[in-house]
Amino acid sequence: MPKVDVTVEVCGMAGDGTIAAGGLINEAMASGGFSVLGFDSYPAEIRGFGRCVARSRIGSEPILALGDQTHVLISLNDEQSGVRVPFLAYNALVFFDSNPPVYLNEKQSVAAAVEPGMTLIGIPFSDLATSASGSARGRNLTALGGFAAVCGAAPELFRNMITKKFKAKGEKVLESNLKSFDAGYYYALSNLSDRMRPLFALPEQSDVAGRLIMSGNEAIGKAALDAGVLLYFGYPITPATPIMEYLAKHLPTRGGAVIQMEDEISSIGAVLGSFYAGTRAMTATSGPGFALMTELITHGVMAEIPAVILNAQRGGPSTGLPTKTEQSDLHAAVFGGPGDSARIVIAPTNVEECYYYTVMGFQLAERYQTPVIVLTDFYLDNRVEDLPVPEASEWEKADGNLYPAADSKGTYKRYAVNESGISPRAIPGAEGFAYTATGLEHTERGTPDYSPENHMLMTEKRYRKIWGALADLPAPVEFSARGSMDLGVIGWGSTFGAILEAVDTARSLGYRVGALKITSIYPYHVQEIKDFMSRCHQVLVPELNYSGQLANVIGHLCGKELIRLNQVTGVPFSPSAILARIERILKAGAL
Amino acid sequence: MKTAGRVLAAKIRSIKESKAFGIRSSELPTWCPGCGYFGIHQGLNACIQELGLPHHQVVTVSGIGCAGRSPFFIDTYGLHTVHGRTLPVATGVKLANPKLTVFAIGGDGDGLAIGGGHLPHVARRDVNINYLLFDNSIYGLTKGQPSPSSPTGTKTKASPYGTHDRPLNATLLALTYGASFVARLFAGDPAGIKRALMEGTRHPGFAIFHIYTSCVTFDKFFKTWANLKKWVHPLPEDHDPSDLRQAFDQVLEDEFSTGIVYSRKYPLPGVS
Repeated sequence: MPKVDVTVEVCGMAGDGTIAAGGLINEAMASGGFSVLGFDSYPAEIRGFGRCVARSRIGSEPILALGDQTHVLISLNDEQSGVRVPFLAYNALVFFDSNPPVYLNEKQSVAAAVEPGMTLIGIPFSDLATSASGSARGRNLTALGGFAAVCGAAPELFRNMITKKFKAKGEKVLESNLKSFDAGYYYALSNLSDRMRPLFALPEQSDVAGRLIMSGNEAIGKAALDAGVLLYFGYPITPATPIMEYLAKHLPTRGGAVIQMEDEISSIGAVLGSFYAGTRAMTATSGPGFALMTELITHGVMAEIPAVILNAQRGGPSTGLPTKTEQSDLHAAVFGGPGDSARIVIAPTNVEECYYYTVMGFQLAERYQTPVIVLTDFYLDNRVEDLPVPEASEWEKADGNLYPAADSKGTYKRYAVNESGISPRAIPGAEGFAYTATGLEHTERGTPDYSPENHMLMTEKRYRKIWGALADLPAPVEFSARGSMDLGVIGWGSTFGAILEAVDTARSLGYRVGALKITSIYPYHVQEIKDFMSRCHQVLVPELNYSGQLANVIGHLCGKELIRLNQVTGVPFSPSAILARIERILKAGAL
Repeated sequence: MKTAGRVLAAKIRSIKESKAFGIRSSELPTWCPGCGYFGIHQGLNACIQELGLPHHQVVTVSGIGCAGRSPFFIDTYGLHTVHGRTLPVATGVKLANPKLTVFAIGGDGDGLAIGGGHLPHVARRDVNINYLLFDNSIYGLTKGQPSPSSPTGTKTKASPYGTHDRPLNATLLALTYGASFVARLFAGDPAGIKRALMEGTRHPGFAIFHIYTSCVTFDKFFKTWANLKKWVHPLPEDHDPSDLRQAFDQVLEDEFSTGIVYSRKYPLPGVS
C-alpha cells in the first residue's frame, strides 16, 4: 500500500461553510481508516469579514503535526484563497468555483494566482448546488463531491458523514445536502476524467473499529464525564467554550449541571466550594480568565482544597489574540498569584492525552488536595485527531480523597503535619469532624496562626506535598537512540508533535538528535530531565511564546545555556521550521 | 449583692437551657468588646439551635473582614475564603450537597464593593443559600476607611476631606436584583435576627439578611449604637412581604425599618 501523507485545505469567507466542509473531510477520511489531524483557523468576527481556513493532514501513518505544505486547496472564495497559494506544494491541486456567485474579475480569481506546476480544477459549485437542491447554500458540499471524485476518496465515506451530520435536521435538509454533494461528484466524474489524481487509495485493511475522531475540547469534556464530574462552572471564552457546551448537553442527563457564572472568579470559587463539599467539579478558561482566577487558586493551595482548572491558552488579555494559539501562560500557571503557592500543572501534547490528563487531574487534585491546572492551547483544543476510544482506568477514576479515620473523632486535625504533607480531609456532613478550611495561615487544627515558626512549618508541608506528587505524575518520555546526542530537543504541549516529527526527520537524515516530552510541568522530574540534558551536547527548547517559559523553569537543570526557539505568530510550529533550526545548530557545530 | 448573684445565676441557667452555647466553638471571638457582630452571632447560633440543624450539616462560608472570621467561632463546618468571593464559593458548596444548610457571611466592603458583582447573579439564580450581610458602613479590619454604604461626607484617614460618593442601599439592591427573600435587621436585636433567619433558612431560595450593625472602634459618627437605637424600628404592621411594589416603597421611604421586607417562593427555582 502506498504511503499517504496529504494536506487538504478548504478556504473561504466566514459564512461559506468552510469549517463544516473541513470537518466532513476529517470525519470521512478517519472513517476510511486514515490518520487525521485537522485544525481550523477562523477570525474573531462571526460573519462577513474574515478568512476561514480548515486544514487537514491525512495519512496512512500516525500524523503528529500539521504539515508544511498544502497539496489540495478547495477554494470557496477566491479572494480569500489567493493568499494561500504560496503555501501550496509545487504540484498542488486547486479546486475553485468556475462561476462564483460573487463577480470576480480575472485578477481576483485563484486561477490567476496559481503557479505553473499546479493543476486547476474549475467546477461550477454554486450553479450545480442550485440546480440540484434549489439553493447555492450547499456549494461547499458540491466542492467536496468534486474533491472526492478527483482525488479518489470513496464517496460513501462522505455520504455517511453528511447523513450523520444532517440527519437530525430533517429529511429535507439531509436530502438536499446529499444532492449537492452528488452534483459535484458526478460532474467531476463525467467532465474531469483527464484530471483524476487518486491520492487516497483506501488502506486495504481499514481497521476503524474502536477508533474515533474527536477534538481536544471533546476529549476534555468526555474525560470530565468519565471522571464523574457533576458540576461545571464557567464563563464563555474562546477557545474553552466548547467544553462548557459539551458538558451542558451531557451533565443534566446524569444529575449534574453546567452553571454559567458571572465571571471566572466566581467560576473557580464555586469549583472550590464544590470540591470542599465533596463533589467533583471543574472549570475551563483561557489566559484572561485564568488571570482572574489566580487569587482563589492560591486560596485553594493554602486551604488545601482540590480543584481542576483547564487553561486553553491563547495570547494576551481578553482583547489580545483571542482566536490564535500560544503557549504563553506557563509562568502564570506555575507561579501566578500571591505568595508561595505551589500547585500541580500538567500539559497534554495531543488529543488522546487531553483525555487522560484531564481524568488524571481529578485524581491528583483529590489525592494532593490542591488545585490542578491542565494547560492546553487553542491549537490543541480545536484540532481533531483520530484516536483509539479513550477509557479511563479504575485507578484514574477512583475517589482520591483521604478521609479521617473514624477513631480520630474529637482529636481530628484537618491540617495535621506529617511526612507526606497530606492530611486527612473531612467532608461536610461527616459528624464529629467539623473544621474551618481557611486561606489564613493556620495551625494543624485550622485555627488562625501566623507566627513565624508556624508559617514556615505549614509552607514546608504544602511544598512537600506538591513535590511528593511526582510519584504519581508521568515522567518525561524520551524519543532518541540511546547514548549521547549532538542535540536534544525538549518540548511540551501542542508543540511536541511538530518537534517529534522534526526530530524523526533529522534522525533519518543522519543527525544524532533526540526529543524529550515533558508533560508534568510542575512539579517536574529533576533527575530525568538532568539525565537527558547531560547526554546532549546542546539542548533546544522550541515554544510558542516569546519569553521561553518552559526553558526558564527547567533551564537551571542544564548547566549550559539552553538554545531557545520562540515563535509568536499565533499559528502552530511547522515541523520544517524546527527541522531548519536543528540543522542550522548542528551545521554550525560541525564547522 | 445577694440579689445580683441570684439574677446572674438565673441568667446563666437560662443561657444553659437555651443551648445557645452548644454551638460555640472553642475559639473565642476576636471582635472588639461592644462589636455588633456578637449580637448577629447570637441570632445565628440561636437559629441553628432552634431549628435543630445538626451542626455537621451546616456550613458557614465567609470572605475577608471582621465578619469573615465568623466561621472560626461556631461549631459547624466552615470555609473562610478570600475577599469578596463568599457568594460564589457558597454556591458551589450548596450545589455540591443540597442537604447542607449554607450560611454565607460577609461585611459591606466584602459584599457591596469587591464582591458586589456576585450579588445580582446569586439572586437571579435563586440558589438556596442564606446570606448575612453585616453592614456597619466602615472598613474595620483595615482600620477605618469608608465603605460603599458610608454616607456622603464621611471623614476617615483615607478620606480626610470627606467622601463624595453616595452610599449604596443593600436592601434596595437586593430587591432590584430579584432576590426572593429579603430581610433588613439590626444587630441590637438578636431575637429579631433569629426569627428572620429561621424563616429565611426555611425559604427554598436565596435569602439575604441585610443587618445594620455598629463598629465601636472606627465609627464614632454614623452607625453608633446610640444612633442606630434611635433610628431603627420595625416595619409597619400592615407591611405585606409578598408585595414587591410595597417593599420598594417601604425601602425607598424608610431607610431604617426592619423585618422581612420581601418574600416570594418561585415555583421552580433554576437550581435549588
